[in-house]
Amino acid sequence: MTKPDTEMLETLFQDARRTPPDLPEGLMDRIMADALAQQPAAGPRGWRAIWLAIGGAPAVGGLVTATAVGFWIGVAPPSNLPDIAAQIITGTTLATLDEGSAPELSAFGWDIEEG
Amino acid sequence: MSLDASFDVVHDDPDAVLLARYAQGDAAAARLLTVNLTPRVFGHALRVLGDAAEAEDVTQEALMRLWKIAPDWRIGEAKVSTWLYRVVANLCTDRLRKRRGNVPLAEITEPADMAESAEAKLQRGARLDALQTALETLPDRQRQAVVLRHIEGLANPEIAAILDIGVEAVESLTARGKRALAKLLGGQRDALGYDDDKT
Repeated sequence: MTKPDTEMLETLFQDARRTPPDLPEGLMDRIMADALAQQPAAGPRGWRAIWLAIGGAPAVGGLVTATAVGFWIGVAPPSNLPDIAAQIITGTTLATLDEGSAPELSAFGWDIEEG
Repeated sequence: MSLDASFDVVHDDPDAVLLARYAQGDAAAARLLTVNLTPRVFGHALRVLGDAAEAEDVTQEALMRLWKIAPDWRIGEAKVSTWLYRVVANLCTDRLRKRRGNVPLAEITEPADMAESAEAKLQRGARLDALQTALETLPDRQRQAVVLRHIEGLANPEIAAILDIGVEAVESLTARGKRALAKLLGGQRDALGYDDDKT
């Protein structure tokens, strides 16, 4: 391989690199159509994404049930639970904190320890 | 994937990032991949096969395989372009084998009458035609290696991965290919206009 031949070949390669072949008409469109036809569907967005993120219908069903049960316990509590709803509605309280009955609180308890 | 690794992927193989976006349903990624990859795939297939219709079929088939594998693509295992060139190389090899089954060997191994065609053409397009004609006389693997190395501009390790051979084998293939091309085209210097304008 003589030097001039090598140089000529390099020039030809450079020309080939600078001159990419023209694409056949419509090839890019056909490939794009293939790409879109094969593309997996996009993931959900917005409220639907939140709906699925918290577990979908089963999870929401559980939340609704828990809310209803909680509300019912609040309205009609079992006998061994305090009737908090009634207290809220009627304003009565079961116990009050008598300010005079509590020992006076002071910082760090120095006064108790040191007499 | 660590932050450093994802940074490397974005810089080393932006096509892999686009492919991941494509698999998530991003239509813009589909368009970018199509625009980026189609000319490269078609260019390689055309230079190896020398037939636009066949190159078109190979291009569409190779990219179809890419779209199908996209959801299962593992980022970091291989570059998208390397994988794609490998698919194209194999599709081209299959077609060349089928061709050899139909065409007498002499018609492939002997170059076309380059002297006549080259004498009639002194423009760059004619030189590229002469290069293409000469390329088509090379054995399949030599031709693929020369096109990948000297026209597509890929590095030898990437070509080795594409052709599934060692780097030394790539060097050997490209060296033999260049020698053969220089010998074929060297005799056509005057006809190709190289002694006239030194370009």
